[in-house]
Amino acid sequence: MADDRAAKILAAIGGPDNIIEIEPCITRLRCELEDGGKVDEAALKAIGVHGVVRAGGVVQIIVGPEADTIASDIEDLL
Amino acid sequence: MTLRVLSPVAGQVIPLTDVPDPVFAQAMVGPGVAVRPESAAGDAVSPVDGTVVTLHPHAFVVATADGAAVLVHLGIDTVKLKGEGFTLHVVKGESVRAGQAVIGWDPAAVEQGGRSAICPVIALDAGVDSLIEVRGRGPIAAGDLLFTWER
Repeated sequence: MADDRAAKILAAIGGPDNIIEIEPCITRLRCELEDGGKVDEAALKAIGVHGVVRAGGVVQIIVGPEADTIASDIEDLL
Repeated sequence: MTLRVLSPVAGQVIPLTDVPDPVFAQAMVGPGVAVRPESAAGDAVSPVDGTVVTLHPHAFVVATADGAAVLVHLGIDTVKLKGEGFTLHVVKGESVRAGQAVIGWDPAAVEQGGRSAICPVIALDAGVDSLIEVRGRGPIAAGDLLFTWER
C-alpha cells in the first residue's frame, strides 16, 4: 500500500522519537512507545484504522491485513 | 456466492467473544469463530483453497481466487515466541488446498509458556452478518466445516 498512511500513523503516535519498537503481527502494529500519552487516537481513527488497544506500555493499532507492509513503511521513515 | 471455511485444527469450537484478546473478541478485523485446539502436536491446515498471502510462524492468511481472505492465528500473543516451536510447511505465495498442512506446532507447549493456544479463524473485512452455518460450541476435527462465508 504505497500511500501516506505510514507517515500519518507515525505522526499520530508521536513521531520517530517516541518509537522504541514497532512490530507487525498480521493485522496489527504493536507499538512500544516512550510515551503512550502522545498517541492521538482521534487522528488514528481519522486515518481509518480499525481500532486502538492499549495493553500496558504497548499500544496496538489495528490496521488490517496490510500491517506488515505498513510497519515496513514506517521503519523506512525512522 | 458462498465460501466453505474449514477448521484448521482439531479441538473445541468456541465463539470469538471467548477469545482472550480484544482485537479478535470484538471482531475488529472481521467476524469468525475460534477453536481451542487439542493439546497434541500436529499441523494446522488451510481453511480454504487459495494462495498463502501472509505467512508468519504463528499465523497465516489464505486468499481465495476471488479475493476472500481468511486469517488463522495459532494461539494468542504467540508473535512473542518469535517462531520457536512452529514449523512452516509452505512458503508465502504458495497455492494451497483446503485441508493442506500449513504450519506444524504444539499447542501444549504454547500453553506451558503461559499463553492461550486458542485459534481464531477470521473472515477478514467481512460484514458482521456474512457468516452462515456457523458451527456451535463442541468438538470439531481439522478439515471439518467451521462456517460458511456468504459473499
